Formats: sequence, structure tokens, C-alpha cells
Amino acid sequence: MHRKRSLAGNILLAGVLIILLFWVLFPFYWAFLNSIKKPADTFQSSWIPFLQFQPTLEHWRNELAIPEIRRALWNSTVISVGAATLASVLGTLAAYALARFHFHKPQNGTLTTWFLSQRVLPPVVVVIPFFLLMRQLHLLDSVVALILLNATFTLPFPVIILSQMIRDLPLELEEAAWVDGASRFQSFLQIVIPLILPGLVATWIIAMAFSWNEFLFALSLTTKKAIPMPVIIAGAEHTRGVQFWFVGVRVLMTMLPPLFLALLAQRWIIRGLTLGAVKG
Amino acid sequence: MAQAPVRSTVSPKTSQRKLEDRTKAIFILPAVFWILAFTVFPLLYALYTSFFSFRFGQINQFVGLQNFARLFTDGNLHSDLRITLIFVASTVAVEMILGFALALLLNQEMRGRNVLRAIMTLPLFATPVAIGYLGITIYLETNGPINTFIRALGGQGIPWLSHPTWALVAIIIIDIWQWTPFVFLVSLAGLQSLPQDLYEAAEVDGGAGWQLFRYITLPLMAPVLWLILLLRLVEAFKVFDIPTSLTLGGPGRATEVYSLYTYRTALRFFDHGYAAAQGFLLLFIVMLIVTLLYGRIRELYQEEG
Repeated sequence: MHRKRSLAGNILLAGVLIILLFWVLFPFYWAFLNSIKKPADTFQSSWIPFLQFQPTLEHWRNELAIPEIRRALWNSTVISVGAATLASVLGTLAAYALARFHFHKPQNGTLTTWFLSQRVLPPVVVVIPFFLLMRQLHLLDSVVALILLNATFTLPFPVIILSQMIRDLPLELEEAAWVDGASRFQSFLQIVIPLILPGLVATWIIAMAFSWNEFLFALSLTTKKAIPMPVIIAGAEHTRGVQFWFVGVRVLMTMLPPLFLALLAQRWIIRGLTLGAVKG
Repeated sequence: MAQAPVRSTVSPKTSQRKLEDRTKAIFILPAVFWILAFTVFPLLYALYTSFFSFRFGQINQFVGLQNFARLFTDGNLHSDLRITLIFVASTVAVEMILGFALALLLNQEMRGRNVLRAIMTLPLFATPVAIGYLGITIYLETNGPINTFIRALGGQGIPWLSHPTWALVAIIIIDIWQWTPFVFLVSLAGLQSLPQDLYEAAEVDGGAGWQLFRYITLPLMAPVLWLILLLRLVEAFKVFDIPTSLTLGGPGRATEVYSLYTYRTALRFFDHGYAAAQGFLLLFIVMLIVTLLYGRIRELYQEEG
């Protein structure tokens, strides 16, 4: 809307913006602050490092030296990269099929709904079968199990988003290649993939962030060696009590990778989270 | 496949077709197989287990519909369902209103809108368990920042995590923090795609302020808003992470949400059969919401053309 704002309007807008930024950013700043405070300083309300208190990196060093934490960070990385990659490969193929082929039974629309339903299904419904299945396959407490499950639940992102992108590409580009003797696979790999690469990277990132943050399956299917960061965090309070500096470090270690990735995928997030229904 | 002899001479066209069919299969089958293996099969297996009683995590005996009958008599389940409904209703209502209001307010030309959008996406990707865990320190009754602030203003500290009602409020606030940005971002995207010429025409006709909102913005935004509502409701019913890390369902069972109860039934008490029945009740509730709202959304999108 192009109307000029009044002075009062400007002040209102500025006020809302300040409250909004404070509300959104406070928890992050609070975690950061505690992660660099000496234990004694956490009992004081001091907000500015160097001026009000002397910051320290001691807690970061201590926590990163703990073998369980290192292993959990490594597990989280393997699980989320593995799941996102698997979901992207399966999802891109399916996206191409949904965009370029006509299926009769089941029809394209039905297939799409199938993929969408993954994100509607409450995970707690299938956690027991997964538990029993993984026990049968001797995959309890393994990163493989979590890769498989996270790939399943993030599969809708690439399927839905990329099939829309591919539909928007002119078919002529591929047809020209076929005339020159290229096969479907060649035109898919050499023409379609490069053109949808930004979307592919973005959906990979969204899938990775979701897998990193996933908690229920991780909690149910790991006991020791495959434990990822979210599970480490959930158990910490009961063994160590509430120590602000540990909470700060661990919370940030867990949150920073997905947050950083989300900033990279910015432009695609709305489309991702509404399953393609709204272009952001 | 046996074919009639007349057709046995393969014309170039049918061989082309066969090749095409095989190509189609190679593209779509991996994902379809994946879903069959990791969604349909587990669901069927859950259905199967829901007819059995379990002992020490092993199938014990066939009990027919008994596990489903327990759903109607289990007082704990009912109180947890009530807690979950309160959680869903209050978080989704506040998030919808707050998020849409913010989007309306910030849908204006301004410097730094992209930066603002970037900042607003952060809560959506903050690990929920981590935020719950961080919440323990923020809500701490003795020297957490909120109570310190309230006391500085001369008020009394709030028993955030030790009082049944306040503990639920604490969880609701965190959920609002995490998901209001979603409503805001999607509404903003919706508002920005509205046709500007409609507003110009209406202004020429003397429409202003509230009228523009009531007769143009709201009807045009209806499909997007219903869609956001659907997605938020479905997501909210699945809540598990934040209560588990912030309160572990406590104090007592005051914040034990549905999924947490089912999780405990399955993996703490190894009552897999009953847990499966609970799972199906939740699935039924979610599917009911999807069916009811999805029809409405399709209608609205079609009206819009």
C-alpha cells in the first residue's frame, strides 16, 4: 500500500518492531550470555560482556572436550546429512515423475497426497512399529535407523517443492535434447537438475534442519552410541541440575547448525513449510 | 504376459511406450516403495499390535478390541486429551491472531524488511528440545530473568514450573514464540501477492480503512488463512518436544500432553498394544481436522479461480 504514514504511524511501527525483535531474539541472547559467563556471574543480572562482566570461553572448551558431546555432535551430523541426502535423491526422482509423467492408477494427484500425508501423520503413531522393526533388524541404537526414519518424514519437502519447480520449466528444453538423441535420464541429469539446483539445495537444507531437530524417534531408538544432540540435551537437566552456563553452551551447540542453515535457505522456507501451497 | 498373436509384432510405437513405462517406474518407484515400507507397513503393523496385549515387550495374547475399549475408560488419557486440547486451542488462536496482525502491520514499504523476515524465521528452526531446556533457566523461579524482572517492578515471582496452570502457560508461551513467526511469514507472503489494483479501485469508490480490510483483504486472504490454520492445528496436536524437555509432563501430570502419554505407555510401560490404539485415536483426530478443513480450503481456492 503506497499511502504515506503519519508520524504516529511511524512511532507505532518502530515500537512494534523493537518489541518484536526483543521477543524473538531474547532467548538466543540469554543462552549466549550464559554460555560465556563465569558461574558466579550468572547469578547477577548483567547484560553486556566486557563492560559488566569478564566473558570466558572456558565452558565451550570444557563441553567440547566431553566425549559424549563430541559423539552426539557427530551423530547428529551423520543422521541429518544422511537423511537429507537420501530424501533429496528419492524426492527429486519422484518430483520429476509427478511433474512430467501421467499416471493412471494411482493418479498424479493421489500420489501427491500420499507424499503430503507423511507430514500429517503423528510420529507417535508409528514409533512403536519402528521400534519393533528396528529391534528385529538389530538396528536399535544405530544412526542408520534414524537416517531411514528422518528420510521418510522429510521426503515431502523435495517431492512437493521440486515437482512444482519442474512443472514451471519449459518442456521444450528437454525436447530439444531428446531430438539430439538424449534419453530421459540424460535430460533429467543434464538439463533439469542444473535448473532446479537452487530449490534442490534449499530443500536439502530444510530436510537437514528438520532431521537435526527431530527428537521423538531419536529418544525412542537410541540408548548410547547413536545418541544425537537433542537427546543429550533432554537428559542433562536431571543429571546435572540447572547450571546456567552448561545450559547455555549445550543449547547453542544444538541450535546453531539448523539456525545457520535456515538463514541460507531463507527464500524457500515459506514454500517448504506450507508444503508448496504458498510461494514466499 | 501372454499377448494375442496378432499383436505380437511389436510396432515401434508400442516399444516406445514400454520404454516410457519403464522410465516412469524407475523415477517414481523408489519413493513409492519407500513410503510403503516406512509408512504403510508400520501403520498396518501398529493396527495388528493394537489387537494384542503385551508382556515384557513381546506379543502376549489376542484381546480383540479391548485396547480400543480402554480408550473410553482411561481417566488419565481423558485428562491428557483435555490438556492437549487446551494447548492446541490457546496456542493456535494466539498464533493466528498475533501472526496475522503483525503481517498486516508490517505489510508496508519499509527499510530492512528482508532482515526482519530473516530474523523471524529463526524461532521456526530453533531445536524445540533445546528451547524447552533453555526455558528451564528463563522460567527459573528463584533467579530466572522473568521473575527477576517482575520482582524489580515490585511484583511477586510466578511459580512457573511448579504450579500446574503456570507450567502449562509456560509451555504455551514457548510454542507461541516458536510458531507465531510461521503465521506471520506466510500471511505476509499472502498479503504481498494480493492484487493492488483492487485497493486502488476501492479507494476511488471511497472505501477506506476498515472497509478495505473487511471487504477486500479478508476475503482474499481467507484461503491462505484457512491453510495456515490447518497446518498449525495438525502440528499442534503432535506436540511432544517442548513439554518433554521443559516439564517432563509435570508437576504431577499437569502438562502431560497426548504424545507424551502414548510415548510413556509404549516405551516406559511397554504396553505396545494399548499405545497403538492411542496412536490411532490421535491419527483419527488429526485426519478429522484435515478432512473438515481441506474441503473448505479447496472450495475457497476454487472460488478464487
